[in-house]
Parts: sequence; C-alpha cells; structure tokens
Amino acid sequence: MNTPIISLYNVRQRYSERTVLAVDRLDIEPGSIIGLAGPNGSGKSTLLRLLAFLEAPASGTLTFMGNPASCKSNQIHRQITLLVQEPYLLKRSVHANVAYGLKVRGESDIMAKVNHALELVGLPPDKFSCRQWFELSGGESQRVALAARLVLRPKVLLMDEPTASLDGQSATMIRQAALAARKEYGASLVIASHDMAWLNAACDQIIHLENGKISGTH
Amino acid sequence: MDFLLQGFLHGFVLLFTGNSETYSAIWTTVGASTLSMIGSLTIGIPLGFLLGYKIFPGKKILRTIVDTLLSFPTVVIGLLVYALLTRHGPLGGTGLLFSIPGIAMGQTILGLPIIIAMTATAVEALDKRLPMTLITLGANQRQILWATVLEARYSIMLAAVAAYGRIVSEVGISMMVGGNIKWHTRTITTAIALETGKGEFAMGIALGMVLLAVALTVNILASGLKKKAIK
Repeated sequence: MNTPIISLYNVRQRYSERTVLAVDRLDIEPGSIIGLAGPNGSGKSTLLRLLAFLEAPASGTLTFMGNPASCKSNQIHRQITLLVQEPYLLKRSVHANVAYGLKVRGESDIMAKVNHALELVGLPPDKFSCRQWFELSGGESQRVALAARLVLRPKVLLMDEPTASLDGQSATMIRQAALAARKEYGASLVIASHDMAWLNAACDQIIHLENGKISGTH
Repeated sequence: MDFLLQGFLHGFVLLFTGNSETYSAIWTTVGASTLSMIGSLTIGIPLGFLLGYKIFPGKKILRTIVDTLLSFPTVVIGLLVYALLTRHGPLGGTGLLFSIPGIAMGQTILGLPIIIAMTATAVEALDKRLPMTLITLGANQRQILWATVLEARYSIMLAAVAAYGRIVSEVGISMMVGGNIKWHTRTITTAIALETGKGEFAMGIALGMVLLAVALTVNILASGLKKKAIK
C-alpha cells in the first residue's frame, strides 16, 4: 500500500479559543480525488489551509509522505498548491503569472510548459500570453490562476470553491483541467465545492463536514 | 507688461542658444537631484518596506514621526546640514559645504520621508492574499520579499516621482548648503531667486520654464503611475 501524501491525526484547529475543525484521521492517497462538501462555515477552507501547510494545527499531527512536517517548509509548499475561490494574480502578464512558480524553482523550458498549461485551461497562448492581469475577466483570471498551479505539476492540488463565481463555460474548463492534472501526472485532488453533481461525478471519495467535524463519507 | 514679454523672449533665446550660465544652473540641478535621488531611494525603499511589511513595537510612533517629517521645512534642513558641514561641525572635515554633494545630502534628507512614507503605504495597501499566493506557488522567503516589492513597484515609482518633484523645486537647502556659487553650486531655483532680485527676469523666466517642464513631466508620470498602481 502506498504511503499517503498527507495525513492528519487527531487534528484540532482553533481560532480565538473556538474550535473550528476537529478531524481524527484523514489520508490523502496518491492520485486520489477527494471532495469536501458541507455548508458555509463547516470547516472546508480551514481543512484546505491545513492540507496546504499554510497554517499549523492547534493540536494533532500533520504528516507529509509519512513524516511530521512544518508549515515553514518550502520543499512541501513546492509539492502542494492551493487554488482559492478568488485567486490573486500578480501585477504582470498572463505568461509571467503562469511562469512565476517555475522561475522560483529555477526550471527550464518555461515557454513550452506555460503554453501547455494555458492550453489545458482553454486559454490559447497566442491570444492570452501577453495580456496584462487587469485585462482579464473573472473566469479568465481563475483559469490563469489554475494554469499557474497546473504548470507546477504538484503532488496535491487543493481547490477551494474553484467554480463558485464562474459562468458555465469557465466552470467546465476548470473542471476538465483539474481532472487532466490527475490524468497527465497523477496529481491528487482535494476539491471543496457546493457543486454536488461535479463532486459525485469526479471524486473517489466525498467527505461531508459539519460544524468542523466529519459527519460522513461516501 | 513689456518687460515680462521681453523677459519671456529673452528666456527662450537663452535656452535655445545654449547660454552657458543658464545651462550651468540646469546641470548643477541635475547633478544634485540625481545624487539625492540615489541616496533617498537607496535608503528610503528598504526602510519604507520594513515599516510597511513588518509588525514591531513602536511602529505607530515611527510612522507618525515619518509622516511629520513630510512637512520638514527646507530651510530647517538647510540649517541642520549647514551646522553639520560647517568647519566647526561634526562633518566639517569632509569639505562638503558649498558643494554639490553637500546640497545632495540635504536634499536626500528632504526626499527620505516621502520615499519611506509612500513605500510603507504602498506595501501596507497590497492585497492580503499576496503572501499566501506566493507561498502556494513555492516562493521562499527571499523570493516572497522581492515579489512583494515588485507588486508595489508602481506605487514606489510614484513615491520616487513625488520626491523628485519636491527635491528639484526646493530652494532653502540649495541656498544655505550650496551657497549659490556661480558656475559651481548655483541651481535653477537659487539662480531664479538671485536673478529676480537683480531685476534680470530673462534668465529667471528661462529657468522657470525648465522647472515648469520638469513639473509637467513629473505630473504626467505621476498620473500614469497612479492609474497603474490602483489597477
């Protein structure tokens, strides 16, 4: 059996003494697609931030590839990435936004990789590469942000309501591109969404959260 | 009115015939303001970044001091720098009094609060999602700091333009620290003050037109940068 990429053991997260998340056990297996469902305030975003190693749990253990890991580890942040509902784009061109993560890793062949990522999210590179951040619609910005994460070929791609504020076409492109990440390089996906039809169709497992606790899985 | 019209015409003649005294003042201004901008930006951007980026005890007090220094009168700066550079002053041995680097020193002090305050404001105003975005894209601490500076670049450039506008048009520091020495430390503003006092309006008007052109350029640049900064 493969070692889970991320595991949570007895994890509790508290903000101002209030427990917002309590998870006894959760494993993110390689190549799996996990859906997170639940009402607003149920702890989906908090769980995603923990899985992204952006914040440390108040108590409990968080492991990466079987080893306890720190939220300050740049090496982990280079293998797990998070796409939020309203992502921030750098004040640069589309190409520069998608290329940023590759550049900080010192990778080569950036142009080809960026173009491929843009094609994955349905943005023709010849039309969009040179556009500036302020020349994009909301849906295009979201797709650029996804391309900026897909190009990194992360082990885990976390998505927080990625299609919530998008039109039908953009939402479809995001869904297809996310699934391509698993098909192309075996990424694990964790998707928080209210779109149950999508979660049912795409996910290997759906975790229901309520009041910060797992209320059921299927 | 005649003398004004004649002053304008003569001013154009001085500018377009390359009058050496007029251009000496222009080049002295360019030299001093370039040096002072290098000084203000080199010291001011890192300090402004720290003030805007870091949270530390006494930050609010420091911010208030910097904001107060924005209205530091140029003659007071001139007085302080003169006192430092005069023969009996602590930096009297440097020989910087009545020199272009001396003027630049005073003008650096004038520009610093503008650069620090505006850079700090620019960094504070950055989107709160930026650090998280950079971390999730794999940037390390050094790369996060550099990307943050780049995100604030238009506002920092706006700070530089605002500081340049203040530096190039000041007269108190140039007069007191530079001494208004012909061919040596006479700047555009001190030359205008002197020539007007002598009733020589032509050179004053010629140099005034140069200053106005600088002000116009500064405003056009500032307007463009403001638009980019708020996008």
